[in-house]
Amino acid sequence: MERYWQIEKINLKYNVPLHILVCAVILGLSPFLVGVANLEKQDTAKVLEMYTALIGIVMLTPIFLPEQSKEIRELTGSKYMKSSSVYLLRFIGNSLILAVFLIIYTIILRQNHCVFPVVCYFLGTYAEMLFMGGLGIFSYGLCDNLVAGYMLPLFYYIIAMGSGDKFLKLFYPFSMAAGSYTEKYVLAIAGSLLAAGGIILRCRRK
Amino acid sequence: MSTAIKIRNLNQYYGKKQALKNVNLTVKTGMFGLLGRNGAGKTTLMKVLATLVPKSEGDISVCGRNVERAQTVRKIVGYLPQDFSMYPNMTVYEAMDYLGVLSGLNKRQRKERIPKLLKRVNLQDDSSKKVKALSGGMKRRLGIAQAILHDPKVLIVDEPTAGLDPEERVRFRNLLCEIAENRIVILSTHIVGDIEATCENIAVLDEGEIIYKGTVTDLISMAEGKVYSAEISKRELEDLKGKFTVTSMLTMGNNVMVRFLADKQPFASAKPCGPGAEDAYMYLMQTKGGGISCLDSYL
Amino acid sequence: MFGQLFIKECRQTLKSLIFWLIVLGLLLNFSTQLGNMEIMDAPVKGQEEYGYHTSTDREVIMESTLGALAEEYCRENYATYPIGFYKNVTLNKKEINRIEEILEETTGLSGMEEIEKAIDGWYAKGELETEQRTGRLMLKPEEGLTYERFIELMDEVDDILGGGSKYGEGHRDKNAQVPMTYEEALEEYQFLIKNDRLTGGYARLFSDYMVIFLSILPVFLAVTRSLRDRRAKIQELIYTRRASSVVVVSSRYFAMLAMLAVSVLALSVIPLMQCVKYGSVAGVSVDIFAFVKYTFGWLMPSVMITLSVGMFLTELTDTAVAVLVQGAWWFVSIFGGVNSLKGGMYGWNLAPRHNTELNWKGYHDGFSQLAANRIFYAALSVALLAFTVFIYSQKRKGRLVFRGKILADRKNKFKV
Repeated sequence: MERYWQIEKINLKYNVPLHILVCAVILGLSPFLVGVANLEKQDTAKVLEMYTALIGIVMLTPIFLPEQSKEIRELTGSKYMKSSSVYLLRFIGNSLILAVFLIIYTIILRQNHCVFPVVCYFLGTYAEMLFMGGLGIFSYGLCDNLVAGYMLPLFYYIIAMGSGDKFLKLFYPFSMAAGSYTEKYVLAIAGSLLAAGGIILRCRRK
Repeated sequence: MSTAIKIRNLNQYYGKKQALKNVNLTVKTGMFGLLGRNGAGKTTLMKVLATLVPKSEGDISVCGRNVERAQTVRKIVGYLPQDFSMYPNMTVYEAMDYLGVLSGLNKRQRKERIPKLLKRVNLQDDSSKKVKALSGGMKRRLGIAQAILHDPKVLIVDEPTAGLDPEERVRFRNLLCEIAENRIVILSTHIVGDIEATCENIAVLDEGEIIYKGTVTDLISMAEGKVYSAEISKRELEDLKGKFTVTSMLTMGNNVMVRFLADKQPFASAKPCGPGAEDAYMYLMQTKGGGISCLDSYL
Repeated sequence: MFGQLFIKECRQTLKSLIFWLIVLGLLLNFSTQLGNMEIMDAPVKGQEEYGYHTSTDREVIMESTLGALAEEYCRENYATYPIGFYKNVTLNKKEINRIEEILEETTGLSGMEEIEKAIDGWYAKGELETEQRTGRLMLKPEEGLTYERFIELMDEVDDILGGGSKYGEGHRDKNAQVPMTYEEALEEYQFLIKNDRLTGGYARLFSDYMVIFLSILPVFLAVTRSLRDRRAKIQELIYTRRASSVVVVSSRYFAMLAMLAVSVLALSVIPLMQCVKYGSVAGVSVDIFAFVKYTFGWLMPSVMITLSVGMFLTELTDTAVAVLVQGAWWFVSIFGGVNSLKGGMYGWNLAPRHNTELNWKGYHDGFSQLAANRIFYAALSVALLAFTVFIYSQKRKGRLVFRGKILADRKNKFKV
């Protein structure tokens, strides 16, 4: 256990501070860009789904980044602990950071007299974060290119915005605003699978 | 439990290209040198042993453990890649600590070993320096320290002395010899001098095939009576180069002192002389290898 | 030297994974949005409805805007859309008083009670009895209120609300949504056929969908291209070559621009063919080059500025921070443009929208603004390119190394 904690500690010290900062800036800017006070149920969903969830891409996608250089990858690859465990650990660690961000954010919304079912909205938004992050991890793993990793979830976001649920069906990310949660289960499961797929793809690449 | 690496009928393919052809090898405790020109398959063989590349065909056991079970092999193998590189922002100590965690060491073990090892590689005063601030030689020493951090039974070192200055190179060789006292150290290089100074047993790879395995002494004795030296004029040099493999030469005014390989005394002024490891290697490449196209790079 | 490097860079772009991902994205975007595009037929007399349009009748604008203000005043909270996202605004006592004064001056109604009565009265009469069916509450302005004074006061209300309200410029006209008559619909259609020769309208619609992607995706291409040297550790090798910094940097920029332009043009062949086919049957002489004109006039300025933001920030910081910056700009632009989707109000938006094949008039009236917008961004892009060249040449000379190093050590981490 100590070993896992040690890996996460290094992750916290070296890999994520910048991403945490970026997420904090994004969320910190929200009062200027979107409303965060006195929102109705539907408008709260819109803010959470269309704005807040974007930090999922920021936080989850770069989990392979520290070993981007081939030499470092070879070195760590020859060690006893599997690379996949390290990646999985980072994924879990970063997901927890996301959860913390989202908890704080929903509390602030609540404090600002937004009316919404807190737990449902939290889980719904979290599912979308996982999916967008998972999509990022998957395309990063597939293309071995961080920029490609960011692009795929962004595509998804734009397409969701442009053509709505008629094209994405069960994968439509902004369903909460319309009162539907079925999509969120799909997103959570698909997001986890995509992340796992991305990690497997990455580990197979030598 | 066996303390040797046993390789049986190893074939390795990259697509259509065959990188290793029917390699059979047993490596015992001590320094073992893997020699061959660039692209001969040395790095491939080492990566297979370090479980970085899955083997295509054949059987390999590392100290009795099947190489296919990567986790168990990684426990006892330390690897120093050709281009050792570490997260540049970490300090030396943090890098060691992190890699120690990855090697499955617990906190107590790491606390105990890291300072010792840093001392051993003479980096004890640099433990709080960032990796990116290290010189080439220091980085290589950090590399060796991390590779033996978990006290592996086997240490695999790929081209370790490339790019080091002569002083660092000698120190590094000595360090490897010390480490090899109670474990297998496999060292790959295309620099014959490195092998001659450190290894007793060697194997020579050429185009994926082992063309020699045995001791350095035996290799040298193979070239016994095949090495001649002569002082010739510069004009004659081209002619001689065309007929024989020149292993070294030294310009002295208008004349050149050449050392070359020949089956029997080619002309009267040629004096037979005792072969060195370099001569023997060249002889081997000439007789068994696929030609000596890289000759100039060794001169 | 430029020519040869340009060709080499084009080849590099064609080999780049990111480039093909962008092409794939454009293709996907095209097929989901315009895949089953149908060419519009002329309106037929006796249709149930012909859609809505915004009235330019000042009377209607005033009535509907004042109606909206009265309603929000009674509700005691105001909806604003600063960047397209809903934002709820509540006012303090002093501000409420000022709104009250403004309502009194514009409608003659003073105090909450009178206004509520007026609203109830309007709803009791029923929407159908009013002259203009806007579907929204309309309040008659006080006699003698000039349009100029009205605008002045509404601007003040918008200021009080912090911008993005229904009362600001560009928004208040949209309160006056009125149904189109057959004649109006026919006129719109005639504009499409005659003035736009069919292709103009569809090229605008094409541009509208494409500009969303093209004002963000090229930044990825620019960032990867600029970071590639670093990743491959060949920066110094290139630095020591003879080619001038202008040639090195601009050949990359123009190669990426050219390759993106080619892919957009290739994609535009599909709707062009549809127009040509329809035109040949309906006897409309289409403009074969309309899509080319719009690609270069409407889309390329966005691509240019996105590319140069990417190249500039990457060269400056050796990180992918450009993705974040461009992403933020894009986000604000896209959501900020939501209020002017149907064209005509292009402003300084990075991605000017015109989400209809119709509204030629809006395009015509807003053309000078659009042209200024596009020229400005193209010029800004060239200026940024010049800065990029400057930074590149400084780095080459070993200057800025201190800064370069400090930021470089965080390479690749600052990505979004």
